[in-house]
Amino acid sequence: MMNNVTVFMLSWEFPPRIIGGIAAHVHDLALALGQLNLDVKVITCDFPGAEDYEEIDGVSVHRIDSYKYPTSNFASWVYMMNLNMQESAIRLIRDEIKQGKTCLLHSHDWLVAKVAIGLKHLFRIPLLATIHSTEHGRRKGIHSEYQRMIHQTESWLANEAWRVICCSTYMAEQVSQLFHIPLTRIDTIPNGVNSTQYAIVTASPSFKRQYADPHEKLVLYVGRLVYEKGVSVLVDAVNLVQRQTNAKFVVVGDGYMRDRLVDQARRVNAMSKMFFTGFLDEESVKKLYHVADVFVIPSLYEPFGIVALEGMASGAPVVASGVGGLAEIITHDKTGVLVYPDNPESLAWGINRVLTDPGYAQWLRENALDHVKTFYDWNTIAQTTSTVYHQIVSEYLDGSWRLKQQSE
Amino acid sequence: MISVRVIILTWEFPPRIVGDLAGYVQNLAYSLASQKYDIYVFTYQENGDGQLYDLDGIQVCRIANPVRTHINIVTWDITLMTAFEKAVADVYYSVQQDIQLMDVHEWTCVPAAVQLKKAFDLPFLFTIHSLEEHRSHFANAPLNIAINNIEALGIREADTIIVKSEWMKQELDTYHPGFQDKVKVIAPEKSTWMEEIIALYNLLSDVKESPA
Repeated sequence: MMNNVTVFMLSWEFPPRIIGGIAAHVHDLALALGQLNLDVKVITCDFPGAEDYEEIDGVSVHRIDSYKYPTSNFASWVYMMNLNMQESAIRLIRDEIKQGKTCLLHSHDWLVAKVAIGLKHLFRIPLLATIHSTEHGRRKGIHSEYQRMIHQTESWLANEAWRVICCSTYMAEQVSQLFHIPLTRIDTIPNGVNSTQYAIVTASPSFKRQYADPHEKLVLYVGRLVYEKGVSVLVDAVNLVQRQTNAKFVVVGDGYMRDRLVDQARRVNAMSKMFFTGFLDEESVKKLYHVADVFVIPSLYEPFGIVALEGMASGAPVVASGVGGLAEIITHDKTGVLVYPDNPESLAWGINRVLTDPGYAQWLRENALDHVKTFYDWNTIAQTTSTVYHQIVSEYLDGSWRLKQQSE
Repeated sequence: MISVRVIILTWEFPPRIVGDLAGYVQNLAYSLASQKYDIYVFTYQENGDGQLYDLDGIQVCRIANPVRTHINIVTWDITLMTAFEKAVADVYYSVQQDIQLMDVHEWTCVPAAVQLKKAFDLPFLFTIHSLEEHRSHFANAPLNIAINNIEALGIREADTIIVKSEWMKQELDTYHPGFQDKVKVIAPEKSTWMEEIIALYNLLSDVKESPA
């Protein structure tokens, strides 16, 4: 049945256009689905230097005019971009339908809600929506008309979708409650990580010395410096850790909280034990994972927590707050250490638990790597995703909503 | 008798009256219906249920916006137009894809019209009652630019454009040059207004004579 199906993957970002986590997700998923011999066509926004059309390992990528005129704000641009994307997609879908193919739409977040819903009704084809995160979660509630519009757009998409995919049970429950979608219509499929890409990295001892003295342990944080990532909890934990271990806290990333965090570090006399590197390139980050003695994720909100997978795949022992997706990825005392969120004492305890017991740290490393390779491999995820495709397409073909082909 | 099925897209229709448009489209719809055209009007209503019903001989579909909260008219319009696309598609499939013409009023319905044209190959007649350059003269805020671009998209994609005066035709050429060949002036105050409209409808919908 699936060999007569064309999957249209709608995403506002795809490499080399990388803005958030969706680009890598859609790229890795589309290619892994292609490996299963599924016909996948990605429709995404253009990017300087990128081709309007290209094929990557059998997956075709169409880049549309993303609307370059000024708009009054980001959301207005999103909707204007959706108009252009839908026009281009119509042409591609008509070609497939002419060839007798069954089309399936797979959209990613509210950024392509309009185009996905429009195409669904124009051609009576099924729509699957992956909801990576929600406006309600990102903003800790809805506080403005702007946020409410996005929230309602997410709800519109979730309700129009045949099924919804979320990356963690935590997100599935949130989506179910916020948008009144029964859990039976939501599939939980985790994000993946290309583990070999992280395992093959090597770093010289001198590389580590650029960030920490030889007698210091290296505690690593990687992520945006924004409220929900909980970096201020980490700053408060710095001196608590020093009571047992001499450690340097390397904070990689940038964000609107940076100046406030540096001020906080000075105030609590932790600055000499911290290093705010700012944004670093991918290679340096991979090397840092490799040399880190402990990798910390102090998040207050985390729909999934893909950095946990990256750390685990790199062989860094992980200490994370037990929130959202993190609590699902990490098994406490087996594949990492889970601590209480928003609690510096608990976080410091977790860090020292790893730093003071090398045997324990090694045990966590090995379990984590094993776990990541088994459960978060893109081939496994693509298999699970194609099972969802299969379910939707067979329900669709059995139903009366679709248009009958003239030959039927 | 030949049946000519026409869909009319308008963001105002009585009892929702914002400007002159509502009265104009109402008059147009009933005049055409009296000439035996099969008229379907798709319009906005805050609590519209999106179902077709007969209103004294024409079919009317009042459509709500699927996203209630908005930050400006462009975002409001684009989500509303997606609901228009659904409503028209549902009719299109229920009448065995037998729709001869799409008559679209003002820029607000252009986002749906363009998608419907591309998806169903419907002949696209665009009636322009006013231009963004007139409503917000010399305004070049980002929102006006976006509205201008939607208007330009309609002008580019339309098969024929109706304006109501020679002056408007010139204005159109000033602000959107290069499309004079497809602009027709049909003045509603003239006694031959309906005849001219019908002649144009028949030309666009490939019907050789009035169905009456």
